[in-house]
Amino acid sequence: MTRWNNNRDEIGAVSADITAETNALPAKYFTDPEVHEMEKEKVFGQYWVYAGHATHIPDAGDYFTRTIGGKQIIVTRDDDGDVRAFYNVCAHRGSKMLDDTPMTDPGSLSRITCPYHLWAYELDGSLQSTPKSFEEASLNPDLDDDAVSELDPEENGLMEVNTDAIGPLVFVNFEDEPSLSLAEQAGSMKTELEDLPLGEYEHARRYVSEVECNWKTFSGNYSECDHCQANHQDWVRGLELMDSELEVNDYHWVLHYKHKEDVDDEMRIHPEHEAKFYYFWPNFTVNMYGTADGYGTYIIDPIDEGRFQLIADYYFRDADLSEEEEKFVQTSRQLQEEDFELVERQYEGLKSGALGQAQLGPNEHTVHKLHRLAQDAYNA
Amino acid sequence: MPDDEDAKLAEKPRAGVVTCPACDLHVSVAEPNDAVELYRRHANVTGHDVEWERVAFDAEAESDDAKEALIELGEDHPDGVALGRLAAALADNGVAIGETLDAVRDLRMSGEIYEPQDDYVLAV
Repeated sequence: MTRWNNNRDEIGAVSADITAETNALPAKYFTDPEVHEMEKEKVFGQYWVYAGHATHIPDAGDYFTRTIGGKQIIVTRDDDGDVRAFYNVCAHRGSKMLDDTPMTDPGSLSRITCPYHLWAYELDGSLQSTPKSFEEASLNPDLDDDAVSELDPEENGLMEVNTDAIGPLVFVNFEDEPSLSLAEQAGSMKTELEDLPLGEYEHARRYVSEVECNWKTFSGNYSECDHCQANHQDWVRGLELMDSELEVNDYHWVLHYKHKEDVDDEMRIHPEHEAKFYYFWPNFTVNMYGTADGYGTYIIDPIDEGRFQLIADYYFRDADLSEEEEKFVQTSRQLQEEDFELVERQYEGLKSGALGQAQLGPNEHTVHKLHRLAQDAYNA
Repeated sequence: MPDDEDAKLAEKPRAGVVTCPACDLHVSVAEPNDAVELYRRHANVTGHDVEWERVAFDAEAESDDAKEALIELGEDHPDGVALGRLAAALADNGVAIGETLDAVRDLRMSGEIYEPQDDYVLAV
């Protein structure tokens, strides 16, 4: 039975049983600004979230910045070659230190220096130096220089953010002590992706789109293919949808799409004769193409409760794309645009407030997982 | 842009459309300064500048110099000219939004303009 907003109070929690009538996240969790604020902590502050691709920062001091759940961070490579992340916030008085720097146009520095009072930090985050005015009290007649204590480099360093990686894919976790390791959150996805030469492929394209719907609306659309026959007709023409499978795991799901015409193994990065699209909770996908020797990633990045940015990156053997690869990317963009129309249309309906709680079909078990994980995060 | 999208945009009161040609991005914005916010979000993850593709509000200035255009626009907007409006006025001369903001920053840093409210400016 459909649960309309008709004052019958029939909206319930997302049941663990997909055959139950209350098997979807209530609509308010897609449209309520307070939920968006809550998600900054409960979703993007608790789980491992994709930060970027390590191949963009190959050398010590290379860096890019990211904003995740409202938190601004610097992702850099230290002198030992390790990728590390720090809040982009000075330990002195909290100034933002580095200008926004996208992964696709990374910066490079020998140390991180705050432009405000020139506190400088090593690439491991420890305080490297401060100007003389922080070592003596020459402007303060009530204080002797001897009374000025030396700043301990470790105690006054940058605030580090937990990092871990799956191959070149760098993830961050904002919890002091993450309740899950990345390996635990990623499960089999970690081992499967680490078996592939992801780091050998070159970044070829980045397209960033803004879409007028809640990020979970798009995530749900990505995760199922019941809509494909009617809305991605060009694409499904080459698919054997009945032989495809949507596999659900603890924090990720994999969409296995079989193609009607098989292609040579050299035409794929992975061994299976299929496209494999991984969705990794909360907002990251890895798209292993079935008919092109490359892969892509999506970051589904919320702007507010009613908008998100889709950050789509494409990796191929060579960043200088062949005509066929160009065409492949264009097809991918076509699919995105088709999906944008669908999710914006769905969101317009959700915003009207008529529907209290959607209902999921039996082959939308991936969406069910998404909604269950969201509910678990909210209740944690 | 497809005709059906044109029709969709026409349904709502909008300030115009902003585009990033590199990303094939076309976003309708409700207020002039929404274009500036979009530029900041977009440049943050791409480094790309964005441009006004269509302007549906009054933003005309004879000069293509940022300060002179600001003085012109300030006559009709004594409480401050939205940065997005200034960017739209300069867009006719092929100036992208990021370039306008760079010019505004230079003017601010030289004390030639001030910001009576966030993202609204006037000449000194």
